[in-house]
Amino acid sequence: MARASTRVVLRRLLGPLAGSAPSRVFLVGGLGMREAVRALRLRSELTVVDAPSAASIVIVAGVLPDQFSDPLALLHDGLPHPRAIIWWKPGTDGLALVERFPDVILVDGDELQLVASVVRVHRELFTGGRPSSPSVMADVGAAPWQGVGPYGQGGSGMTGGVPYGRPMAEVAPDRDGLRLDVLPVTVGPFFPPFPPGLRLDAKFAGDIVVDCAVPANPFTDVPHGAGRVRPGLDIFSRALFEPVPVAALELARARDHLTWLADALTAHGLPALGLRALRLAVHLRADDAPLVRRFIRSIEWTQVLQWSTRGVGRFGEDARESLRGCGPVARAAGLCDDVRSEDRAYEALGFAAIGQDAGDAAARWRQRLDEIAQSLDLAGRAGALQTELIGRVESPRGLLIAGSAPTRRLLPLIPGLINGVEWGDAVTSLVSLDLDLEEAALAERLPTTTAGAL
Amino acid sequence: MLLGPLGVALAVFVAALVVVLLLQRAGAGVVRPTPSASERVPFTGGLPPQVHAWSRYHARYYVMALLFLAFDMEMVYMYPWAVVFVREGIIAMVEMAMFIAILLLGVLYAWRERALEWS
Repeated sequence: MARASTRVVLRRLLGPLAGSAPSRVFLVGGLGMREAVRALRLRSELTVVDAPSAASIVIVAGVLPDQFSDPLALLHDGLPHPRAIIWWKPGTDGLALVERFPDVILVDGDELQLVASVVRVHRELFTGGRPSSPSVMADVGAAPWQGVGPYGQGGSGMTGGVPYGRPMAEVAPDRDGLRLDVLPVTVGPFFPPFPPGLRLDAKFAGDIVVDCAVPANPFTDVPHGAGRVRPGLDIFSRALFEPVPVAALELARARDHLTWLADALTAHGLPALGLRALRLAVHLRADDAPLVRRFIRSIEWTQVLQWSTRGVGRFGEDARESLRGCGPVARAAGLCDDVRSEDRAYEALGFAAIGQDAGDAAARWRQRLDEIAQSLDLAGRAGALQTELIGRVESPRGLLIAGSAPTRRLLPLIPGLINGVEWGDAVTSLVSLDLDLEEAALAERLPTTTAGAL
Repeated sequence: MLLGPLGVALAVFVAALVVVLLLQRAGAGVVRPTPSASERVPFTGGLPPQVHAWSRYHARYYVMALLFLAFDMEMVYMYPWAVVFVREGIIAMVEMAMFIAILLLGVLYAWRERALEWS
């Protein structure tokens, strides 16, 4: 009784204060909603956090593959009480996953309506107007304690059995000639620095990645995902089948690179610069070139980025040929192949592919920064020119054709890139690749003949 | 003094006890019941850990210890050496150079063992 009354008094005193603070949200972007979710970072009413334990609301947007059901449930349960889950534009085709959360709040409106709902739900959570969302997963341990004795006690080894429901890590020789633990850790699919859906099954010795594998793209398993193409990707998939304005295409490319820049800067611990990049991307016009140039210069002056990217994530000579068609990643490694060179519209504009030699993460950053300026220049001069090449297009990540996207070509190269490096460098390398599983899944769904245009 | 030193100590003790009990009461009012199994899982991106978090890895203390010893010994001998350096002259200089050269071998060894690199 006393306990309940203390809680009521404290809630009366502190609830309104907590309820009026910005809502701390964890974002999960599904198919077609990556850009919309990213734009929420610009809202002053929300504070986007990188871990569920720091959030009070999880916002899921769009359709997710069914295999994300358990990860999402675990993510939801990782939020401290009071908590809520809001699903933005779930559509009618992905409702099976939505229904797993009994207290889910559905929002089908635009960004303004979503933010209004989040603010209201947040206030209600902290003032007692709404109960906290209960745990979705069953309250059972990973495995019961089991020793060797008749009562589950005892056993051999340091811990005598399986400690707290999970086995101990296996041992393997490390570089000092000792046999120490190799810790298997699955990172993703909701790890904020990674693109949505990317999962990495890594094994660590200390903070060194000794082995890793990338499972298949989960977005290809979404049968009803065909109709969900995010706006930024739409023009590139249309350019495969019909002429599109060069100015719009190049503006979309610059915008895509800027949004990558926003994510990459945030992943590198520079969220304020990331927000500036995102603001530029969201409001980008062809005549913003001077503004963008000034911003790029301020990034070039950021020495921290130079230190953390130079010499990191360099592809070996054997992987070089596999990089063909991988856009900025290939061009940063000295392979200057760009499908735009084959398009007569680009020829008329005097287009020439630019490239770097170093092939490391720093070169890939440099390459994208240069390509932003190049795309804005092309968009400014293109006028009413339309693309002429059909069936192949240079997306912001490389050669996009029906059935194959650059990300699909890059995924098999990841283990070779990050095995044997520190975790921080591994994240830097992966971030610099600008992987997009959604684009890869889209390419696989595209009809291979122009007759079956979107 | 009304209470005397013992009385003051007792009063402070009682006041502290009351504050602790009040805080405990308030804490019990806000604390939630034990989190469920899924609420206790550390976040690595949405999937549960496969193995126990108790992991033994090599922190490579021995190379750090080597570096520490190399520089620490240098300081230990250089302070008294600095006191007698003027009196002893060039002999002290040569002796110190020999000593530093030997220590430098240790630093070079540590360098070869990658003690100066973070990973």
